[in-house]
Amino acid sequence: MMIRYAVVILLMASPAFAQDAGTAAWTAVYEVFSHPRCANCHVGPDNVPMWSGSSYGAKPRPHGMNTSAGASRIGAESIPCSSCHALQNSQLPHGPPGAHEWLLAPVTMQWFGKSSAEICSQIKDPARNGNRTIAAVAKHIEDEPLVHWGWTPGPGREPAPHSVAQVVEFLKQWDAAGAPCPAK
Amino acid sequence: MRLKVNAKTHEVNVEDDMPLLWVLRDELGITGPKYGCGIAMCGACTVHVDGGAVRSCSLRVGDVSGEVTTIEGLGSPEAMHAVQAAWVEHQVAQCGYCQSGQIMAAASLLMVNGEPTDEDIDRTMSANLCRCGTYPRIRAAVKAAAAKLRERRS
Repeated sequence: MMIRYAVVILLMASPAFAQDAGTAAWTAVYEVFSHPRCANCHVGPDNVPMWSGSSYGAKPRPHGMNTSAGASRIGAESIPCSSCHALQNSQLPHGPPGAHEWLLAPVTMQWFGKSSAEICSQIKDPARNGNRTIAAVAKHIEDEPLVHWGWTPGPGREPAPHSVAQVVEFLKQWDAAGAPCPAK
Repeated sequence: MRLKVNAKTHEVNVEDDMPLLWVLRDELGITGPKYGCGIAMCGACTVHVDGGAVRSCSLRVGDVSGEVTTIEGLGSPEAMHAVQAAWVEHQVAQCGYCQSGQIMAAASLLMVNGEPTDEDIDRTMSANLCRCGTYPRIRAAVKAAAAKLRERRS
């Protein structure tokens, strides 16, 4: 019996095990970051949010109404996102979601349409993660109300998977395992 | 609660979650803003809060944090806002139902962009629907109003 425990402990301490645990933790993080509740507003330099996901329809499409959030990422150049996205979710079918603020993530944090490997390398790069350590990314997710909206998106929208606390824990596990990224 | 609309302060006895549009139309009798879709998709209910365009059908009155301006407060028949004057000049309205929302959205655009291109206008105004299809006239009137406002500033 003692020998069996010793083998398990040795395996857990081995770099290969840590790598596997880290890869599994990243897979869970990617499930969240690539989910429409997160990725729809982590879009590229065209500044156009997306409508996608199982609670939306068959194919992703740009946000309706010819919307652009502009370089400001809040619509300041034309019509602010907050013109329609009020402080709270509409409770009516197809009504606009809302939160205390409504904006696109910076262009450097584009996730929509990117692979797990691409997002993984972004999250480790302070130039593309808002100048954060991985611990700071976890703290950001833990503290930021607009991020938390992903789990309380209002009626008719699928929430992001897992929970805020679980994502924070996954990120910590991934960091502790050396933050391994998938090959593709 | 207190609500400042068109430079006048009102005391209204309503629930916090009542949409601003309901308060304006049913409690205060300000009927310029129109009910269209009720879910911020058509723009007929557009008003300003501290100068910024908002869809009053989807904003809870308890969340209003500034002064509200409706089409009635933007200008008057005797002293029209440049956008209102351009609307008359270009005879934009047909049935007219969406036009107060269109004008409020256009006036808001011209506060942040004094010389909008067609693309700027389309970006800003595409969420203001007009079933009569007055869009070409809307574009022309927005540009005319922008020119008038630039002229006044120079």
